[in-house]
This record gives sequence, structure tokens and C-alpha cells, in this order.
Amino acid sequence: MFKQSLTLGAIGMVCSMAAASANNTPITGNVSSKCSIFTDTSGVYGNPTPDELSTKTADGGIDPVVRYDVTVADKYKAKISWPNSFSTAPNLSDAVNWDGETSVKSHSVAGMSAYEAAKVEYDNVTEFDLTLAGSTWFSVESEAKYGVGKSLPGGEYKANVVAECIAD
Amino acid sequence: MRLISIIAAALITTSAAAHELTPTYPEIEPAYVEGVSVIKMKMWNRRSDASYYEVNVYDDEWKSVPFATPEKIMKLSYLEHKSFELYIRDTDCDRVTYICTTSKQLKQDVQSTGIKSRICSKVK
Repeated sequence: MFKQSLTLGAIGMVCSMAAASANNTPITGNVSSKCSIFTDTSGVYGNPTPDELSTKTADGGIDPVVRYDVTVADKYKAKISWPNSFSTAPNLSDAVNWDGETSVKSHSVAGMSAYEAAKVEYDNVTEFDLTLAGSTWFSVESEAKYGVGKSLPGGEYKANVVAECIAD
Repeated sequence: MRLISIIAAALITTSAAAHELTPTYPEIEPAYVEGVSVIKMKMWNRRSDASYYEVNVYDDEWKSVPFATPEKIMKLSYLEHKSFELYIRDTDCDRVTYICTTSKQLKQDVQSTGIKSRICSKVK
């Protein structure tokens, strides 16, 4: 009798321990509207001619690539500006003429290919309506040409691309 | 030598990093101080190349709206989350439209072409 009650007690203890160790540890998550800007590729200027800096591959440069992730469709607008001044440069005695082009490089959803045709360009800015949820990669080409028949002074040159994501 | 430079370029140029600001549509709530309202925001820094972010508030014509916050330029380490509050006078609440955070890179962290990211939430 004593042995039986001891066994039952032991089983009860094991069961209660198992119940305690099976306690849930919840992991909670929430998918809400959000825009993330990823700096996918930092650009590099090539120096194809003495008076020019360019991120074009053909000119020895690398186009910077920015990725936009939006979790909910039609909530954000991407506004990307190619540089129109250097953030770091040696002293320049003449004007620099800037040019550039922002284009859709890749996308996670087929419908995003329409972004390229629907883009709006003004000054050095290109706007894209992010009408679909997912990821879009934009490449930003930029060129800087120095005065007429003048070589760019030697030194370090840096410029900034501005990638904005603005709620609609 | 050429192979080494290609590998080095790939390593330098393919590190994806992000900047996030939520919520998309924040709400203006009453603050503890009379005549002042508060907007609560959250940021996450996944950019290893940027540790400072500037906060700005604008109206619908992108004109600055006065506001107070403990740090207008906040330090946010890589992978750090931060909740912050913006205090706005009740008289300016109707004008508040965009709340933006802009990455601020240190000069030495910028490569040939740096990327400045700015995310703006909208008060509806």
C-alpha cells in the first residue's frame, strides 16, 4: 500500500514537472506598414577622362544601388536624387556640370517593372510611386564633368545620393 | 592581382544596410504638459555605415515646424532600436504633416558615393 502510494506520488510529481517545463514562451510579431531603405551597393567614381568622374561601368565606376522594401502597398513614394555637388573635393576653380539617371534595376514582384515607365523626373530628382508591396532595387548613375578643356585637380572626390521614402 | 581587386570591390560594395522609421502614420496625443502634444516614433538602424540620425518635422509644404525632443541628432548604433518622442505646441499641431529622420554619415565613413537615407512618416 505504501509502495503504491509512493509510486503514484512520483508519477504525479513527474507530470507536474512536465507541465511546468511545457510553459509557452511566446514570440510575437506584427506586420505593419513600413518602408526600409537599404544601401545595397555603395558607388565608386571612375575617371575615364581627365575632366570627368562617372559611376558608369564602362567608365570604370560602380553605380550605387539602393533597395526599398515596403510591407504594405501604396503607402509610400520613393524620391531619389543623384548628386549635384561634391561633399569632399579638392579646391575647384571652375564649374562642374552634373548629370545622372535613376532607374529600376531589379524587383521582387513582376508588376514593379511598371515603376520605370511611371517615374517622374525633375532637376536631379526621380520619384517612384511604390504601389506594390515588396522590394525594388534602384541604380543611380551620376557623372561630373569639369570646365571646358580642364583636368580635375588630383585628390579625393566624394558625393552623396539622397534616397527618400515618404509616406503618402 | 586583378582577382583580388574584384573580390575586394565585391566585399566593399555588397553589404546591405537599412534605415527604418515607424509608424507610417503616427498620431498626435496629448502630453502631460498643458498646451503641448506628443508624437511617439520608433527607429531601427541597420546601417553599419551610419550611426547618427537627424529628426525633423515639416508641414505639408515642407516648411519646418518647431518641436522639441531630447536629441535632434540622435546616436543610434548598428542594429539598435530606439523609441523617441516629439513634443509639439498645440497651436502647431494642425500644421504637422511629415516627421522625417535623415542619416548623417561621418566624413570618413563615406566612400566614393555615399547614400544619405531619409524616411518620412505622415500625420493624417
